[in-house]
Amino acid sequence: MSNKIGTKNIWKSIKEYQEDPEVLEAKLHEFKQGVTDDFDPDQQSTFSRRKFLAVLAASTAYAATACTNYRDKGEIVPYVKRPEEILPGKPTYYASTFAEDGLSYGVLVKTREGRPIKVEGNPDDPINKGKIPSRVHASILNLYDPDRLQSPTISKVKSSWKIVNEEIASKLAEANSANKEIAVFTNHITSPTTAKVLDEFKLKFPSVKIYTTHLANDNNRVSAWKKCYNQNILPSIKWNKAKIIVALESDFLGKEGNTVENRANYALGRDIVYTKELSKLYSVEGAMSLTGMNSDIRLRLNPQLQFEFVLSLANQLMQLGAFGASELSDNVISLIRKNSLNNFAEKSGLQIEKLKLIAKDLAENKSNSILVAGDALNEKVHIFVNLLNDLLGNNSLYNYDHGFLIDSEISTPQELKSFVAKCNDGKIAAVINLDANPVYELPTSLGLSDALSKVETIISLSEAPNETTNLSKYILPLHNYLEAWGDHKTRNGLLTLQQPVISPLFDTKQKEEILLSWINTEPVDYHKYLMENFKTEVFDTNNSIADFNTYWLTSLHDGIVTTSKNSITENKFDQSIVKDFTTSLDGFTVLVQNNYSFGTGKYANNGWLQELPHPVTKVAWDNFAAVAQRTAEKLNIVNDDLIEISVNGKSIKLPTMIQPGMAEDTIAIELGYGRKNSGEVANEVGFNVNELLNENSLSQFIFGGATITKTGEVYKLASTQEHHSLDEEFVKDFHRIREIIQEGTLEEYKKNPSFLKEHKHEIFSITEPHKYPNEKWAMSIDLNKCLGCSECISACNVENNVPVVGKDQVARGREMQWIRIDRYYSGTPEEPIVSAQPMLCQHCDNAPCENVCPVNATNHSPDGLNQMAYNRCVGTRYCSNNCPYKVRRFNFYNFRDNFADSHYQNELTDLVNNPEVTVRSRGVIEKCSFCIQNIMEVRENAIRENRPINPNEVKTACQSACPTQAIEFGDSNNKNSYVTKNREHELSYHVLEELNVRPNVTYLAKIRNTDSEDI
Amino acid sequence: MGSIDYTQELSVVEGKPALRELDELISKPLDSKPDIKFYIALAVTLTMLTIGAIGLTASLYYGTGLWGNNNPVGWGFPIVNFVFWIGIGHAGTLISAILFLFRQKWRTGIARFAEGMTIFAVITAMIFPIIHTGRPWLAAIYLLPYPNQHSLWVNFTSPLLWDVFAVSTYFTVSFVFWYIGLIPDFATLRDRTSNKIKKIIYSVTSLGWRHSNRHWQNYELTYLILAGFATPLVLSVHTIVSFDFAVAILPGWHTTIFPPYFVAGAVFSGFAMVQNVLIFIRKIFNYEHIITMDTLERMNKIILLTGMLVGYAYSMEFFIAWYSGVQPEVFAFMNRAFGDYFWAYWIMFSCNVFIPQLFWFKKVRRSIPFMFVIAVLVNVGMWFERFVITVTSLSRDYLPSSWAYFKPTLTDASLLIGSFGLFFTLVLLFTKSLPVISIAEVKAVVDGSQPKHGDH
Repeated sequence: MSNKIGTKNIWKSIKEYQEDPEVLEAKLHEFKQGVTDDFDPDQQSTFSRRKFLAVLAASTAYAATACTNYRDKGEIVPYVKRPEEILPGKPTYYASTFAEDGLSYGVLVKTREGRPIKVEGNPDDPINKGKIPSRVHASILNLYDPDRLQSPTISKVKSSWKIVNEEIASKLAEANSANKEIAVFTNHITSPTTAKVLDEFKLKFPSVKIYTTHLANDNNRVSAWKKCYNQNILPSIKWNKAKIIVALESDFLGKEGNTVENRANYALGRDIVYTKELSKLYSVEGAMSLTGMNSDIRLRLNPQLQFEFVLSLANQLMQLGAFGASELSDNVISLIRKNSLNNFAEKSGLQIEKLKLIAKDLAENKSNSILVAGDALNEKVHIFVNLLNDLLGNNSLYNYDHGFLIDSEISTPQELKSFVAKCNDGKIAAVINLDANPVYELPTSLGLSDALSKVETIISLSEAPNETTNLSKYILPLHNYLEAWGDHKTRNGLLTLQQPVISPLFDTKQKEEILLSWINTEPVDYHKYLMENFKTEVFDTNNSIADFNTYWLTSLHDGIVTTSKNSITENKFDQSIVKDFTTSLDGFTVLVQNNYSFGTGKYANNGWLQELPHPVTKVAWDNFAAVAQRTAEKLNIVNDDLIEISVNGKSIKLPTMIQPGMAEDTIAIELGYGRKNSGEVANEVGFNVNELLNENSLSQFIFGGATITKTGEVYKLASTQEHHSLDEEFVKDFHRIREIIQEGTLEEYKKNPSFLKEHKHEIFSITEPHKYPNEKWAMSIDLNKCLGCSECISACNVENNVPVVGKDQVARGREMQWIRIDRYYSGTPEEPIVSAQPMLCQHCDNAPCENVCPVNATNHSPDGLNQMAYNRCVGTRYCSNNCPYKVRRFNFYNFRDNFADSHYQNELTDLVNNPEVTVRSRGVIEKCSFCIQNIMEVRENAIRENRPINPNEVKTACQSACPTQAIEFGDSNNKNSYVTKNREHELSYHVLEELNVRPNVTYLAKIRNTDSEDI
Repeated sequence: MGSIDYTQELSVVEGKPALRELDELISKPLDSKPDIKFYIALAVTLTMLTIGAIGLTASLYYGTGLWGNNNPVGWGFPIVNFVFWIGIGHAGTLISAILFLFRQKWRTGIARFAEGMTIFAVITAMIFPIIHTGRPWLAAIYLLPYPNQHSLWVNFTSPLLWDVFAVSTYFTVSFVFWYIGLIPDFATLRDRTSNKIKKIIYSVTSLGWRHSNRHWQNYELTYLILAGFATPLVLSVHTIVSFDFAVAILPGWHTTIFPPYFVAGAVFSGFAMVQNVLIFIRKIFNYEHIITMDTLERMNKIILLTGMLVGYAYSMEFFIAWYSGVQPEVFAFMNRAFGDYFWAYWIMFSCNVFIPQLFWFKKVRRSIPFMFVIAVLVNVGMWFERFVITVTSLSRDYLPSSWAYFKPTLTDASLLIGSFGLFFTLVLLFTKSLPVISIAEVKAVVDGSQPKHGDH
């Protein structure tokens, strides 16, 4: 059948199948005429292929990022134009000043990308030489404290500066016209420019009266000095030149005066490792202080007996012919004759041999010894001690070079009492608290808080809330010292400058600027004001050849300027001022002292400082009543028992802390705790001792006739070290038996310099030791210089982002500090011998932690460091168990947000972290890294400069912070490093040597100058 | 009392039950619905398990800070529990493998149950090494040697890693051994059941077992080989667990006596636990003639023996510490007995050394109440042994400055309770889902089941 219509096998349409010629024709011309006529490139979409691809790529990327959990929603904007001084990743340092309580420290503020991350000492500071106390290290946290006041408030309602200033200005004008007193409370003003502003303020408002408060003051010392020599300059002491130092209830190494300077100079006299010389420190005290801990010979004495002691000592010295009766006035002679060392020994129960030894040493080392009385002792004791130093020729050790300026005086009790009376009578128009906290700082019995409630206008200028701001109508937030300008003059002939290193984080102002804005109608720039004052006061008198601008910028860069000195008038000691003074020994004696870590001011709300263990007791987060063991037995109290201490009708409750070495029937307590309304950290930590202070004498810190009652309640103290009773045979003297602490006496050392090494065995390994062909990092710690002051801990906390864990975690033994100061007692609870030892990761060659980690999270670097890889760590804690030094720390919680309901976990406080150090998460182990970030920085520099690393070039944070330079760090493969020298020294040893873990921290044994071969 | 004929082997199954009777008896718990007592028991164990689960959830959410651990006591309850439960497991393997190789016929009545307990104890134990870490979610991965682009490897020198291998091997071998033993029983159950679902399950699990001679030959050989496999594991697992301590340099941990001492202790506590549970099982399921008083007495004798072994180890530790002349070493042991944790030490010593001495008396060995109480105390003592080793050594080590007292928290207690909850929940479910006595093996030890010399 042929039904075939077309011939095509393949066809696309019927027409094609039928071989329509039109179709055939069209097939020949693929592009028909006119087909492209409609195509106009200009009419096409401008969306190019390139653009299409770009959009495609962008939208894919967009879709992809939408799927990730990209948490950082903040802006990250690179510098378009790099600021001149900022190199991303490189720190910039600015010189500035930290000043508190009449003392100032030159600092260098380390900033990274414009944010301050660490405060270090300014090496150009001729006094402190680059060292600063722990509170200055930790002060960086106050800048980022979430409790800071953030904007001005009126009656606790947020307001603006304009409204606040207008209202206050009108109130002040009103007060001025009514001639009613405007009271200004302030702490010691150390800034000449601030003083000038205050003068202007007084000029504008003549009814202004300024009250100066200082809680833990050294008024006894200062007023005694003024009476003795009629000078406005108090010399510092050349501790390094003193062969014999007798500290009378004085903690010059711990909390009195400029401790940084004292420690450094004292340590120079204890450098037995290099000089073979050793000064001798006697401490005669009732409370166990850091100075007492470090003394060669310590005598326990009720602080009330100190006057009799110095008189008896004078008697003995006179007998020894140290000075003649002809040098003394009659009243002094009769005073001295009334006392004798034998009678005193009988009365005090002290060993006569030791007392005689002090006299003998003083007599033999005339003009090379120094007696120093403590801040707490009565002015009359200070006067007599000054006289003794004069008679012994010890005034040659007074250093007037840059003496303390002591013009500023605290207000007298009479002034303050009349202020309270005036408040109650409604005669006070306004109270201005100029960065002061009188409600807390003045004795509670003065009744200031009640009196202030009668004053309508209370203006508080403060950085953070406190007891006084809580009562104030107007609260004006101040800059942190790192945001503010300033100048400080605390030492003769030196002016230190303070400059802002970050623009204000909150709506705060400079305190001087606020005062100036009340004086003038026009706003004043304090920066310019300061410069102008600097020009007239410093530049114009210094006869510099540079122009002012250069001079100013150079001064700012250096942070310190030498100025003209106040002249010192040499005045003869007037012996008629020596007066008798009697005390009664009824009941208990209470000794009130300053605290070690945060003083009394604004630094109580600093977690790092609150968590810094007390250098003697190791208690953190509390104050306590330190008592002797025998006294505790008499009172039937044990550690943590809450006792009530009553003096002159005032009483406070405190937990008991049995402290070896306390004088019997003496209670030592510390100030600065028991804060209220002062921020999350400070509130309700410890007990307010100010309730015990005397409103009639602001510098009385010793109270006799106290009664103690046991309340039956218990208050748990948290401590970083267990408290064993010293006479517990079971665990007694372990640090000596196990040779953790190795010590000797000067006699022993002189006789046989290598006495330490003699009984030691050679320790050998059955395996080949690891090879360290290049650098091998190591540390040495000279225990002769280490005082146990704990400032290394504070510096390490800041450098290495160590979290604050809080009291409950410290009580559980979970503090996170990478370096700790171990404190050991030997001897009897009455006469303990105290040894301190900084303990940190020993970076052992045969590190026992490394081979037990199942995941290799901790391992050894080719330059001898024991490293932690936090990312790899799963937290088995096996390494910590196997560490014989127990220096590893475990993150039991996320310690960033565990403390006080995430108090320190916020955008602001996160800024304090050092960007070079990983912030550790929950569940990982951490430990000292030998500040590897500093090693890396030095290495990078050396590589870039194509040079070998200097063996002493790397500085760890603890080393930089150590005020006595006890810590050295460097390359132990290099013969020229201090570390190698110390390692090879005859006094060097390793802790737990016999384990053959080969630690890389070498200790230099402490040599005690005890006049015998026994320690 | 007539004299015993020592030429005759005593029967391990009392009476002469018909084989069919044995089938009936052993599979009865599987055929019947659970009674109210079972539900009460299950409610108790599930409550304990829930308490543990709450404790665990809180620990995972907030962190290990909820426990009493501190610095220096890095290891606390979880590690104590881990070692305790691993130890409990040991009796099972010992009974099923070693006693099998020694042809101890009395083991047949208790072997299945003891093996089951091994597996449950190891499951319970395995939870702890993971959760005790700071970051369990990573520990579960990082502890395994898997190839990765970082070339990161586990640390083969760490005893914790050896644990990973030892415990996982132990679990695998024990499980396979147990399962192989179950195959003929599954076949029996398959043949008996009329329930369709059960039939399918048993058909699958019995792997086509037809009780043929060839099957039996293969089975016997496999079982023997696996017993040979499992036997060294009895010794190796707790040896390696003891290395966690012995390899460390901590005084009180660093002792060479630990491996044998740990194995003896493990067998000691394991037997005590098996004995405890069997006392209930034989009563509830009427197995008194299969798990006979003689069997229990034999177990008590092993408890007595191993108890004296650990007692010897305790004394030897003291001797060696004194003999070493190393002060931290001497102190570590003095501190155990007379330090802050003296109470824990003396609980351990009394429960493990003094009290089992009562088993010297036949009356005590054969008195159910006495042996039950003694075995409970043995396990209390053995838990405290691990506590004493782990915690007291850590709490006072080399530097007195870092010493601290460990105080357990409620969370610690909840995890301990939870571990018992898990273990006993598994045991309870086991009694109702699998034959707790090996049907096939018991049949083989009934009087007259084996050919005798001179019978023909």
